[in-house]
Amino acid sequence: MEMGDKDKFELEKRSDNHINYHSPDSMPSDWRYSSANVANSSLGLVSTDNQMPVCRGDLVGVSSCSSASMVDSFSPGQWDHPTNSQNLGFCDISVQNNASTSNPMGIRKGGPASLRTGLDKTLDIGWNPPSSMLKGGIFLPTAPGVLPQSLSQFPEDSAFIERAARFSYFNGGNFSDMVNPFGIPESMDLYSKGGGMMQGPQEVFPGSGLKSLSVVQGQKNVMNMGDSSRDTSLSVEHVAIEGSPLKNEKKNGSLVRSHDEAKQGVGGSGNESEEAEFSGGGRQDKPSKLEGNGGELSAKSPASKKRKRNGQDADLDQAKGTQQSVEAAKDNPEVQQKGDENPTSTPIKATGKQCKLGSQASDPPKEEYIHVRARRGQATNSHSLAERVRREKISERMKFLQDLVPGCSKVTGKAVMLDEIINYVQSLQRQVEFLSMKLATVNPRLDFNTEGLLAKDILHSRAVSSSTLAFSAEVPMVYPPFNASQPGFIQASFPGMESHSDMLRRAINSQLTPMTGGFKETTQLPNAWDDELHNVVQMGYVTCAPQDSQDINGSLPPGHMKAEL
Amino acid sequence: MNPHHHSSYLNPNSLKSRFTKNFLRSLIKINKQTPFPCRPTEMFQRCHKVKTAADKSLACAVGSRRVWSRAMLCKIRNRALRRGPQKPPSVRRIIINNRTMKKGFNCLKEKMNDDQEAGIDQTSKLRKLVPGGEAMDLCNLLDEAAHYIKCLNTQVQVMRSIADFYST
Repeated sequence: MEMGDKDKFELEKRSDNHINYHSPDSMPSDWRYSSANVANSSLGLVSTDNQMPVCRGDLVGVSSCSSASMVDSFSPGQWDHPTNSQNLGFCDISVQNNASTSNPMGIRKGGPASLRTGLDKTLDIGWNPPSSMLKGGIFLPTAPGVLPQSLSQFPEDSAFIERAARFSYFNGGNFSDMVNPFGIPESMDLYSKGGGMMQGPQEVFPGSGLKSLSVVQGQKNVMNMGDSSRDTSLSVEHVAIEGSPLKNEKKNGSLVRSHDEAKQGVGGSGNESEEAEFSGGGRQDKPSKLEGNGGELSAKSPASKKRKRNGQDADLDQAKGTQQSVEAAKDNPEVQQKGDENPTSTPIKATGKQCKLGSQASDPPKEEYIHVRARRGQATNSHSLAERVRREKISERMKFLQDLVPGCSKVTGKAVMLDEIINYVQSLQRQVEFLSMKLATVNPRLDFNTEGLLAKDILHSRAVSSSTLAFSAEVPMVYPPFNASQPGFIQASFPGMESHSDMLRRAINSQLTPMTGGFKETTQLPNAWDDELHNVVQMGYVTCAPQDSQDINGSLPPGHMKAEL
Repeated sequence: MNPHHHSSYLNPNSLKSRFTKNFLRSLIKINKQTPFPCRPTEMFQRCHKVKTAADKSLACAVGSRRVWSRAMLCKIRNRALRRGPQKPPSVRRIIINNRTMKKGFNCLKEKMNDDQEAGIDQTSKLRKLVPGGEAMDLCNLLDEAAHYIKCLNTQVQVMRSIADFYST
């Protein structure tokens, strides 16, 4: 039976293959594998957590066979039951995915295949009858009571959902986190389509660690995708969301609602954040069940709910965005087509869009086509969409840079932020120059120590041995020309560290003149060396006295001591 | 740092450890090659050598994964070629220029947009600061800048601890 379902899936997939579908052959196999796992888990191997990771892709791949039955069983009432919802979520996702199956989802890698296989298995267990329905592509719930049992057996939806959610994150922003545990990195590709939408959840994940969020989004995506292609993309997203680690509390209508709202924004991070918050609030239902699975299942339930809603638009349309999402979804085919037509510009940009969170995670797999959904009320021109994708990419990078550069949390606006970044990079480069100069002066000692010892010490960044005021030994090394008079002079100036530089400077300058014999360019020396020596001496003193060094080091970054090399 | 930190920080494959190893090796090499400078000019030269060594070891530690590390390595090699044997510097430079030009045409339009978006001065300044930033669009430039900042931080940290270690 499994094989039969798998075959069905494959057929569906292949028939719907679009250009986005890169390796149909490879994908089905992957799908089969992953979906098989998923199916098993969903069918009722709730306890089997291991399967969940594999099944991430299953969600997407779950072809209509199982989804149909699942959808049916996912009547709104069923959502009230945590277990059911979980299972349903899973089924829903798979069902939706399969129903629409067209590969327009752009499931490139084995994600869909895996999902399908998973679904197949699940279907086998409880849904033989529905398979026929699926074939017909009738995913609307025909018999609510069809799969109550099977649904209840649905494996931890949280895990499932999590996986699903993860799949949707093909950009791998945070996907890497999600994907890696499951070992299905390729699934990310599958969800390129939905990627735009899923980006939000990704962002949310790291922030809130809300799996449900992704699930919610996935569900929403699923729901909104009225078309088969849309469904597939949705399912992909949905799956991705589910895949993301969600704590899985209850994913009920609230999640769905949030999905709907989130749905509206194609790849709008704003939407996702909404969803994230929303889902976060709504996930409290099944803590016990989902916890075990690491939230995978919970992810599934919201996803499934979403699917169900898709099937039953009227019923599901509780969220405000439902209608909007549908409309937005309608734009998607347009967008997608345009994306197809402009493979070079749009897909690349879309990819970037999906990689919004990429900066934080591994690089997303190379995708050529990314389907960007037009947001409600926005132009659907491919150029403007690509432009929007690009802008969002850039703003995402700027946010990441904001975290890197210290003291930039309150800065808003690209110009100011860029200024800060430029200043910071310049100060870092100046620090490197200064430190290299310092190292050049104190180099000789390196010969004595083994590299390993040094490396160990340096890597551990021990605190400077401040207490040693035996700086006089260092002085000759640092200032070879000043051997005679320095020790006494330097030690005398120890007490007043802050004023050291000035005192030393004057002292050195005064000493320089009498010692011109040692330098060829006597007149120029003091000027040329002034700053360097000043800095070096300061640093030398600084290293002796840790407190002072810290102060001075701290003041270094502002750039007041940059050596004028 | 407490001992617990010590054990948890030891990652032989991290950027920090790779950079430290490379840098220390080159520092020792510099020390062996040239006697301790007595004159300021020698000191300057040594300083420059140390800085180049630091940059090069950082770029090597990062590898070829990043545009900026590749650009930095090319720049250093070009400089070495220029100063060392009298090889025609134009050869190498042309290679780099070609790479830049190929990308430049594609990025030209995006660069114009970038400038409009983020301010011409700032983007061009950032391009100059980040090695290899001339031939990237804003999106990649920001990406590279972020990674570059991270690596610079590591570099400063390691160099500072080396300097502190040797100053005491």
